[in-house]
Amino acid sequence: MSRGWQVALVAGLLGLFTLFYQGLWGDPRRIPPVLIGTPAPAFAGQEVMSGEHLSFDQFRGKVVLINFWASWCRECRLEHENLLAINERFKRDPDFVMLGIDYQDKVEDAKRYLQVYGTSFKHIRDVKGALAIDYGVYGVPETFVIDRQGIIRYKWIGPITGAVYTNLTEKVLVPLLRGSAVST
Amino acid sequence: MIIEIGHFAVVVALVLTTLGIAAPIIGLRTRSPEWVRVGRMAVTLIFVLLAIGMGSLVYSFIVRDFSIQYVANTSNSKLPFFYTVSAVWGGHEGSLLLWVFILSAFSTVAVWLHWKTQPVIMPYLIAVESLVMCGFLTLIVFLSSPFERLFPVPLDGKDLNPLLQDPAMVMHPPMLYMGYVGFSIPFAFAMAALFSGRLGEEWIKVTQRWTIFAWLCLTTGILMGGYWAYYELGWGGYWGWDPVENASFMPWLVGTAFLHSVMVQEKRKMFKVWNLFLIIVTFSLSLIGTFLVRSGVLTSVHTFATDPRRGLYILLFLTVIMGLAFGTLILQGAKLRSQVQLDSIVSRESAFLFNNLFFMVAAATVFLGTLYPLMIETWKGAKVTVGPPYYNAVFMPVALGLLFLMGIGPYIPWRKASRESLKKNFLIPMMVGAAAAALLFLLGIRSPYALAGALIVGFVATTIFVDFGKISVIYARRDRVGYARGFLTAFAANQRRYAGLITHIGVLILVIGIIASTVYQTEKVVSLRVGDEFPIDVYRMKLLRIHEVSGPNWNAQEGVFQVFRGDRLITELRPQKRVYTESQTPTTESAIYEINMGHIFLTMPEVSPDGVAVARGVINPLILWVWGGGGIMGLGVLLNIFRPRKRDE
Amino acid sequence: MLSRFLLTLVMLVALAPAAPAAMVDETDIDIKTREIAKTLRCTVCQTENIWESGAPLAHQMRELIHERVAQGQSAEEIRAYFLSRYGDYILMQPPKHGLNWLLWAGPFAALVIGGFFLYRTLGRWVAQTPPPSPEAPPSLDDQSRRRIERELHT
Repeated sequence: MSRGWQVALVAGLLGLFTLFYQGLWGDPRRIPPVLIGTPAPAFAGQEVMSGEHLSFDQFRGKVVLINFWASWCRECRLEHENLLAINERFKRDPDFVMLGIDYQDKVEDAKRYLQVYGTSFKHIRDVKGALAIDYGVYGVPETFVIDRQGIIRYKWIGPITGAVYTNLTEKVLVPLLRGSAVST
Repeated sequence: MIIEIGHFAVVVALVLTTLGIAAPIIGLRTRSPEWVRVGRMAVTLIFVLLAIGMGSLVYSFIVRDFSIQYVANTSNSKLPFFYTVSAVWGGHEGSLLLWVFILSAFSTVAVWLHWKTQPVIMPYLIAVESLVMCGFLTLIVFLSSPFERLFPVPLDGKDLNPLLQDPAMVMHPPMLYMGYVGFSIPFAFAMAALFSGRLGEEWIKVTQRWTIFAWLCLTTGILMGGYWAYYELGWGGYWGWDPVENASFMPWLVGTAFLHSVMVQEKRKMFKVWNLFLIIVTFSLSLIGTFLVRSGVLTSVHTFATDPRRGLYILLFLTVIMGLAFGTLILQGAKLRSQVQLDSIVSRESAFLFNNLFFMVAAATVFLGTLYPLMIETWKGAKVTVGPPYYNAVFMPVALGLLFLMGIGPYIPWRKASRESLKKNFLIPMMVGAAAAALLFLLGIRSPYALAGALIVGFVATTIFVDFGKISVIYARRDRVGYARGFLTAFAANQRRYAGLITHIGVLILVIGIIASTVYQTEKVVSLRVGDEFPIDVYRMKLLRIHEVSGPNWNAQEGVFQVFRGDRLITELRPQKRVYTESQTPTTESAIYEINMGHIFLTMPEVSPDGVAVARGVINPLILWVWGGGGIMGLGVLLNIFRPRKRDE
Repeated sequence: MLSRFLLTLVMLVALAPAAPAAMVDETDIDIKTREIAKTLRCTVCQTENIWESGAPLAHQMRELIHERVAQGQSAEEIRAYFLSRYGDYILMQPPKHGLNWLLWAGPFAALVIGGFFLYRTLGRWVAQTPPPSPEAPPSLDDQSRRRIERELHT
């Protein structure tokens, strides 16, 4: 085996092991969001509890937090309290709106879920899943924040807990409501 | 109690592997065969202890001891007996134990079988096998133990994943592991050759039967996986280029290259370093496959549940073994200088080397495709998918090239092929191949794959059948018997060669089956009510009724369909939509009818409460040639392994 | 006899179809939906395409594709829509731009480059092999010679 081949072999092996090592810490299922920085798709639908018709256009010019959830989703339960806390903290600001999107759910199940766990904001039903697809959603929970100009500025896949919760409130919502950019 | 005995046995086995590594090395250093004997005893004892460990686990499953976490996770009181036993290797921990158990069995056989005839390499063989076993047992004892107890004890288990409750799935892991483990024997012999400096042809001759046996098991394991995917997953396909499928395919590709390349070393004493490289790569790919499947690095239909610590340990183990193996190759390989005697580029040696080139490019392609998403994500954070369209596009030409070489290799002379010999051996086959392609073209076939396939399959088949014909005639005339007897005598006189050619015939049949069932597959999905019918290909399917049925651990909606051709009723098909009671997992059970060596394949993916069913019909022409071809490939290998020993073996 | 006749009559009535049976078939829209769905990756069952996958999201995506095909959108437009929402991941094979060329051209390049190296190495080996020395053919006795002639010409 000539020197050239030996070097190539060793280099190849080292590269491979490094790649495998890096791979251990990633999440192979995660699809990175491509919608950040693009205009948020418009949507409309029926509110879960009241049945009234709501549309995204009603909230243009405000900072909107959208959370995709479902009554059958176990991880959504983990973030439920945190979401209520976020709404408590920011709801007095006239420029803040929080919306839930109920995904792939029967209306009775969704109503029961909200009655049992409580809610302080409105939820729109995504009956055919078209809304979720429009937002590049592939599981629940997923959370988006849209700025006053209607641009998506933040997306999180998974429950809003712990460090994610702090980051969302301090580094995303506070700056956006103040009028500055997201600071991450 | 029983499970604790099993656990204890496995822990003792782990301790013994260190003895298995140390004792032969001491024996080498002090030149005392007694120490090597100690090593042999260690390996044998490890096998006995692991048998106890496996036995205790199987026992716990059979008596449905749900106080053991692994049993509770992978079985259930309503699980039929047959699947209860196979559930032992249905999860990560148990399947690892099976892996190392098979390894210990093969190691023991290899040590005792070759004890008398291979005294020089025996210490290295024992040490290498013990090292691999040590690595696996450490993983099992510390990070993946199937022996953990569960508290509080559940009333019933979670049930074996319904997709695994299938006969092919039962045999698939053991077969596959026998393949991976089987290659560890030539690997250990190669390492022994490198460490001891005895780098002649000996190790290859001794391990020839091990190599093809491992190849047989790996091929069967892979085909069984495809068989399972076809019958159980219900989409009418058998290979998805899923990362885990690829993980088993890569060692197969390199293993096949190795299997062929060693023939050149046996005959011409060439390619010594290359063959050592090939077997190290083959076995490394088996270990890499283990890593990929169990570490969470890749997404797949059947990765096991993951834990980064396990992944980290396996990676470490992988690095140690591969580092040791390749390192020794680099250091020792420098001492090897093959005397290359080649008279012409047009020769069998060249054909074998091109065979290897194609196989290695194929393996590298699958490797690149499987790891590319990981590379892009690590490098750029972006996410891409490398799916079947890529592999099919890129792999097909390589596969066709390999097929073509399959016709050339056995019939091109060693050292130098003259123009006359080329004409004599290949002119008629080329003409037959061209005629076959032309015939298909005239019949309306336009697919480039089908046409190229016809050309090459025709070419290769002719070379083989002309050969069979010639020798039958020669031996028949020589012994004054019928042609069939003549063939059998010729076969026995050169069994290894002709068994190999039979395997090649199996490959041809497999390829025809693959081309027919992929290129000419018809599919139709419709929504229909009871009484409706739909056309597919030349058939008509009518939904008679939908009713409920149940099995030992499941309930289902079954659709009763009649299949007509014109006005003639051909058969009745009953696809089901099942729900397994314990885990509430839904599955679609396919209904299959065999016709003209192909399949009419029907599933009922959905049934709505108001009686609207979605039916999915697939016509797979010549699908049976895929499994049949595989069977003939296996037959060839068995004829190769069980051949009378010649004087020089 | 009578009971058997009555039973048959009852069965005939029971089995008579309630609604007229229909011949259903795939529409062009269905076929086009299938073609497009097979080229998109399911994001839930991540090794299957949207057509094969049993996930509810895949079902909804198929319906969406169906709607859009019915509205007259082309395959490219529909794929572009999904691409804008999910990124390159959603395609079943990496798009042929930028670094991805490594993937697409790689195997072919490997074959060509490898083949070239192999050819050169083989040539080198042939060049350094001394030509076979002319040896006197071993002598054969007559019987063997005749037997060989016979076998060669049959």
